[in-house]
Parts: sequence; structure tokens; C-alpha cells
Amino acid sequence: MDMIYGTPEQPILEVRDLSHVYSKGTPFERKALDHVNLSVKKGELIAIIGHTGSGKSTLIQHFNGLLKPSAGQVFFHGQDIFAKSADLQKIRFQIGLVFQYPEYQLFEETVGQDIAYGPMNMGLEHEEVTRRVNDALDAVGLPQAISEKSPFELSGGQKRRVALAGVIAMQPEILVLDEPTAGLDPAGREEMFDLIRGLHEKRGTTILLVTHSMEDAARMASRLVVLKEGSIFLTGAPSEVFTQAEALERSGLSVPQVTKIMLELRRRGIPVKTNCFTVEQALDELLRCRTGGIGC
Amino acid sequence: MLKDITLGQYFPGNSLLHRADPRTKILLVMAVIVALFVCSTWIPFVILTVFIVGMVYASKLRLRMVMRGLKPLIFILVFTAVLNLFMTSGDTVLWRAGPLSITSAGVNKSILIVVRLVLLVISASLLTYTTSPIQLTDGLERLLSPLKKLHAPVHELAMMMSLALRFIPTLVEETDRIMCAQRARGADFDNGGLLRRAKALIPILVPLFVSAFRRADELATAMECRLYRGDTGRTRLRQLKFGGADAACAALTICFLGAAIALQLIMA
Repeated sequence: MDMIYGTPEQPILEVRDLSHVYSKGTPFERKALDHVNLSVKKGELIAIIGHTGSGKSTLIQHFNGLLKPSAGQVFFHGQDIFAKSADLQKIRFQIGLVFQYPEYQLFEETVGQDIAYGPMNMGLEHEEVTRRVNDALDAVGLPQAISEKSPFELSGGQKRRVALAGVIAMQPEILVLDEPTAGLDPAGREEMFDLIRGLHEKRGTTILLVTHSMEDAARMASRLVVLKEGSIFLTGAPSEVFTQAEALERSGLSVPQVTKIMLELRRRGIPVKTNCFTVEQALDELLRCRTGGIGC
Repeated sequence: MLKDITLGQYFPGNSLLHRADPRTKILLVMAVIVALFVCSTWIPFVILTVFIVGMVYASKLRLRMVMRGLKPLIFILVFTAVLNLFMTSGDTVLWRAGPLSITSAGVNKSILIVVRLVLLVISASLLTYTTSPIQLTDGLERLLSPLKKLHAPVHELAMMMSLALRFIPTLVEETDRIMCAQRARGADFDNGGLLRRAKALIPILVPLFVSAFRRADELATAMECRLYRGDTGRTRLRQLKFGGADAACAALTICFLGAAIALQLIMA
């Protein structure tokens, strides 16, 4: 796994001037992405945030070449993935893409066979496939015994984990997750986030997380990319992005609840800083204000 | 790929044809189709062509868009043209090689047949391009409603049709999504022999069927929640009414079709 490509500074994934226009030349023509630039370093956990229709899903489908850009390029380890010499299928094994509601893609008779679909397409040996299936089940926190069951008799949350395991079993270097917690109950969401954090920390997988929840993004990611109408609106660490809380609110993107409270306090004349996004940070900030301390 | 299916797709607009009642349009398209089969000489065909192209222009659709709907028919067009070219017997032989021969009557006939088929498809797609599926089924239901007296399940058929039409884009989208998801897991739908390609479809078809059944189930529940009980006592949100646009469409069609058919009869 530890193959070294290029220089350490070289981004693992880079998007340059990417534009995408749907249904070009018809009355339904729609510009979904407009000159997007993005660079992802190995081991990062990035959240891509935006409204419905801001281009999030379109963007991530360019990462592994499922959509072809109208203009611009995508580089994986410095190699243009749309170049004639590039093997897109191979790239798709290394950039694992988990779609929204991935449980709807399950099709095999047993869970084990379904998870094995990706590794089998990679042309791996039978033993290696079995090993990876077990490993992937382990990674998503499902018991080995489940692999003999039909995916259609599992619960919703279990199905989603099986689908996720199907991508993890390919052992991709980058894992792109489109709204992995959509439609899950609070407990299910927490489990999913723990699982993603585990993949990032224990396995060092580079993770791109697509979400519309600022809260989740702030909690999970080391860097946020805010998309608006197909362009990058803001990008940076959560604390940097939320210093722009007013700009975010004005453009109709919600900020975390805690940040909202801090904004309201400031509006009412209490001189708090507004770049807080967790309860703990807000508490510190409020205590600081009360004791009259300066800066934090 | 899948997005390119345009046959039977509605393009919103506000042209004369868009405003006309669906019943008018259905009846007029039927009249045009009859006229296309009645006419078999050149001058009536020129009139019909002018009329149909004029209608495309009046409906503010791009001609290129309409032509795209013909793409799937290229094979049939070429096949019938070639068949008629060689199989028509006539007096003036233009070219002969062994058993094959081309006569001037054959050339004439094959061109006419291609023009006829093209016009046929264009006029039928004019209907679906300018009428939303809901309007179309409403119109059909109203046109067929006399059959209700014979206990024909007209309402049920119209409902089934509008549901089917309603779900075509949804299922196309769903197929696209599932294909993308399986591609992301390394599926390859374009290479390999027939058997391998057929096998590659299983990962698409199984989830597609599962979701179609799920959708059907949800839809049935949603309809029952809103007390859907079929046709009895049901009123309509959109009342169909004939208006100025219908009169204009009908007048234009009668003029052109009348001229074409009259000329055809005189010349024959």
C-alpha cells in the first residue's frame, strides 16, 4: 500500500479550472460547476459543503472520471485522469466513491458476495478477496457472520454499512462519501461518523466528505470547502470559515447552531467572537467575555 | 448516453402549439398521419412538408432538436429505402446488375417513403414535444371517455399511462445513478462478449427492480392516503377547454391537409 508517488508536497488529488455544463445545447442546459480549483493532500479530511444544487455531487463524480468535465482537468498523483494513457478503471479502484443512499446499489445474493464485487473486478486472487471482505466488514463494524445473509434482509443502517464496505474492500487511497448520514437516525449518524473517523485515523485514508450540514462538517473535517452555485465560495479550516459567518448567513448557507447563538449575542452588543462552532469553544469564549479577558 | 433519449420528451414553451388543447393536437396529428398515407405524389408531399416544418418553426423548437429524435430510426429508414429502391418494378430501368435493378419508379418510391416516415415521426414528436405527459393522458382520457359506456377501463388505462410516463425520467435517472455507483466499483459495461455484457447488467437490473417495486409500493400508499378510489366522483384540477389556439391550429391543418389531399385526388 505504501507506494510513494511524486514528491511529498504534491497533492494526491488536484482539480484545475473544472467546469461542467449539463445537457449542453438543449433548452435544459445548466451550468453545474464553474472554474473550480481544489487541491487535496494525502491524509486530509475535507468536507465539501453546499446547498442542494450547489454542484457538490457533480464535483465528486469528476474525481474518478464518472463525469467528463466540459473544461478543466483532474489530476491524481499528478497524472491527468482524462488523458488517453490513463486507465480510468484502475483510478476508480483507488478513489473510492460512495454515493448517496448507497444501500440502493446492493444486488448480490449474500452480503459477502456483494462486498466482493469491487475486489473481484480488480482481478484479485480468491483468498485476497476473502481477506478483504472480512477486513472491510471489520472496518464498518459488522460481524463476520453477516456475510452469509442476503443484503435485503438487513436493516437500513446495516445495508448502508455493507455498501460502504463494498467500497472499502477495494482499499482506495481516497474515500469520497456523498452524504453518508442522509436518512439515518441520530445514533446511526454518530456511528457513521465514528466509522469515518476510524478509517481516517487508523488507516490514514484521505477522506472527502460531502454534506449540507455545517455542524457535521465543522466537527469532522480539518478543512472546509463551501460550494455555492457551482463555484467555491469559501475554503479553509473550520475556524477560518466561520469567521465569515455573516457572509455565510447572508448567502443563505446555515452556520452551526452554536455559531448562530454567538452571532445573535454579538448583534445584541456582547463582544463575543463568532468563530465558535462547538459547545466547548462557545463556553470558553463566553467565560472569557465574562471575566473580561482579552482575545483567545 | 441515457440522457440523450429525446423521443417523447416535453419541451416547455408558450407557442401556439403549446397553448392548444391536447385533444385538438391528438386529433390533428391523427389527421396528418392519415394524410401522409393518402398522398403518394410529389406536390401534396411538398405541401405537407411545408406545413410540418412550419409547425416545428411555429412551436419554437429547434429543428436540430427535432431531428435528433430521428436518430434511432436511421436503420429503419435506410432499410426501407434500400428495399424499395431495388424491389420496385418499373418501365425505365436506370441500373441493372444481375437480379438487382433500379427503376425510376423505385427511386421515386423510396424517396417518398423516407420522406413519409420522417414526416410521420416529426409530427408525432411535435405532439409530445409540445404537450406535457399529464396533458397528453388527460386528453386521451377525455377522447376515449365515450368508451366508458361500454365498461372499458378508460380512466384506469389513462392513470396507468400517466404513471408510467411520470416514472420514465425517474427510472432513467435511477439507472444512471446505479450505473455510476457500480462503475465506481469497477464495473465495465462496454467491453467483453455478449454473455459478459449481459452478466454485467445484473448489478444494474437487480437494484433497479428493487427500487421500482419500492417506489410502486410507496406511491400506492400515498394515493390511498389521499383517498384515491378511481374514477367515480373524481373532479379535475385542470379542466380542458377549447380556445383560440385550437381554432387556429385546426384551421391551419384543415387548409394544408385539404389542399394536399385535394391535389392528390385531382392528380390521381
